[in-house]
Amino acid sequence: MFFLTYLRRELRHRFRQAAVIAVGLAVGVGLVVVVTAAADGVKNAQATVLHALYGIGTDITVTTSPGKPSSTAKGSGAFSPGKNPHVIDELTGASLGVIGQSLVVRITRLPGVAAVAGGLADETDSKITVPSLAQLGPGGSPPASALSPVTFSVGGIDPARSRLGPYASGTISAGRGFAASDATSRVAVVDAGYARANRLKTGSAVTVAGRSFTVIGIISQPQGGSPADVYIPLAVDQQIGAGAYGASLHGQVNTIYVAAASSAAIPAVQKEIAALLPSATVTTSSSLASAVTGSLASTASLISDLGRWLAVAVLIAAFALAGLLTSAAAGRRVREFGTLKALGWRSRRIVVQVLGESFVTGVAGAVLGVGAGLGGAAVISAIAPVLPATVGADPGGPAPQNVTFNGSGRTDSTPAGYYHTVAVHLTAPVTLAVIILAVVLAMAGGLVAGALGSWRAARMRPADALASVE
Amino acid sequence: MYTLTGVTKSYPKHGGTVSAVRDVDLSIADGEWLAIQGRTGSGKTTLLQLLGAMLGPDRGVVSLGGQDLARLPEAGLARVRAATVGFVFQGFNLIPTLSAQENVEAALIPQHSKDAQRRQRALAALASVGLADRAGHLPSELSGGQQQRVGIARALVKEPRVLLADEPTGNLDTSTRDEIMSLLEAQWRERGLTLVLVTHDTAIAARAQRIATMNDGCLSVASAQEKD
Repeated sequence: MFFLTYLRRELRHRFRQAAVIAVGLAVGVGLVVVVTAAADGVKNAQATVLHALYGIGTDITVTTSPGKPSSTAKGSGAFSPGKNPHVIDELTGASLGVIGQSLVVRITRLPGVAAVAGGLADETDSKITVPSLAQLGPGGSPPASALSPVTFSVGGIDPARSRLGPYASGTISAGRGFAASDATSRVAVVDAGYARANRLKTGSAVTVAGRSFTVIGIISQPQGGSPADVYIPLAVDQQIGAGAYGASLHGQVNTIYVAAASSAAIPAVQKEIAALLPSATVTTSSSLASAVTGSLASTASLISDLGRWLAVAVLIAAFALAGLLTSAAAGRRVREFGTLKALGWRSRRIVVQVLGESFVTGVAGAVLGVGAGLGGAAVISAIAPVLPATVGADPGGPAPQNVTFNGSGRTDSTPAGYYHTVAVHLTAPVTLAVIILAVVLAMAGGLVAGALGSWRAARMRPADALASVE
Repeated sequence: MYTLTGVTKSYPKHGGTVSAVRDVDLSIADGEWLAIQGRTGSGKTTLLQLLGAMLGPDRGVVSLGGQDLARLPEAGLARVRAATVGFVFQGFNLIPTLSAQENVEAALIPQHSKDAQRRQRALAALASVGLADRAGHLPSELSGGQQQRVGIARALVKEPRVLLADEPTGNLDTSTRDEIMSLLEAQWRERGLTLVLVTHDTAIAARAQRIATMNDGCLSVASAQEKD
């Protein structure tokens, strides 16, 4: 076929120039592949953070800020020494505000929602031994042991909906998990690490808020997500625990876990929930990104701010280079195109010939660019370090503050366990869509260059060929 | 074959206009060999471009076979160039990346002939100019005379009724010039072509049936002779 013969000969004749154009396009396209893959990797990492904190299968979490204490708020911390020392054991969730459990049902009814579960997360059981009057030091100061409470974290799980939330990410390694019939029972599932440290096993007793719970199962949980040490049924937790500033937990949860019907439905569901409860923080993996701090956030910012613009700039430069070189080459072929017109070739046929040459150059650029992009993405996946990401329990709200007064004055502090740090491994997955994008970009670059070059040929008069020999 | 009536063509130059062809009247008979002489810049090539449907006149009529070329759209002019008129250029104008055979084939592309038929016709055209054994050679591998033979084969392969040659021997030495002119004359005679040949060379012009002279855009027919 003459078209292909002519195309092949021209490309071979201008091999160096075609190679420069193809490499230029490849660099731009390769960079787009790498940056897009890295951005996808960051998104995946952000999803990993969400799942580590809230469990696999959770697409959206709903939390509220504990706000400020009311004038009627009850508080713990005050104790009255008696004749004998005694133990105060309290279960409190200071880092999150409470949400009426009825909202769980309302969210269930929203379109695009597959499953919903309410829970009490980030609770802390604190055991403190109140000294006897005889144990008080000079000036009535308590002994050091009284100032060192024994704490462990507790999570209240709805046994009927235990497939969502952090509990869902674990695996029962001994005994059994919660069943719907456990809703009001004093039973507990204990983290494997906590059980090992405290010599707990199935059938052991664990004390929460002064009540004894029977350990029915041991759960192995993924590292990095700050899982609870002890899980108890939600209904029991609501009876024995207290919210921030001593708020009652009856009929309350502090976290709602939502699974969307599809990933496409997540933004709409997020919006609907926000409308239902305007004061709530409705978190998805993408909105979590803004609340994450640490290396992952820095990496996301770097990719978004620098990488994307660098890729766009290189791509524009590659397009411009390809266009200029092709246009210059077409300029050197004016006489050739004029001769072809003198032979009866239509402008369209010449344009197709030049576009064909540019298209093949674009295909070469696409192949090289995809190869370079895959290589770059593989390098990122291979050498990227583990990135720590830190996020608060209520990612969108202000961090709650504990205020204490002592001899040196007022001290503000965030409740223990409010911030979670999750270590994620950054990867750069190259999807088929990214490869298609790269191929389309490279071919578009080739065709833009060809269009610039052939535009000259199309508007040239055949007389130019004869004029060139006069 | 051709009838030119009051043909004028001007070009913009240095902010003004230069009349390359002024009010030319000319008739060229079917099968006639007309030589056009004149100094450089006298308008010879412009006249050839007007005859070859590569330029339209500013004024006047260029009629080819009774058809006014000025009234044809670009596609119609391309058809005339593709089928009716063959060109031979002074600088050969071969495409450097294509072989001799492929250069000749290029003239058949607008006719949409089949690959095998196109190759066969190109080889036959090369054979007719004595270059059957150089079909696969690139222009850079051919001498000037051989390149012009390829140019003539390319002009003739589509079997045109008119052959327009612009200084076809201008870049050749004397012996090659004679070879090429003998070849053109033979093809003109065998094929019954209408040949319009632009030349500086009086000896070459003398071989034509009629000689016309361009002087500052004006054409005068200096002599007419009957070639046997």
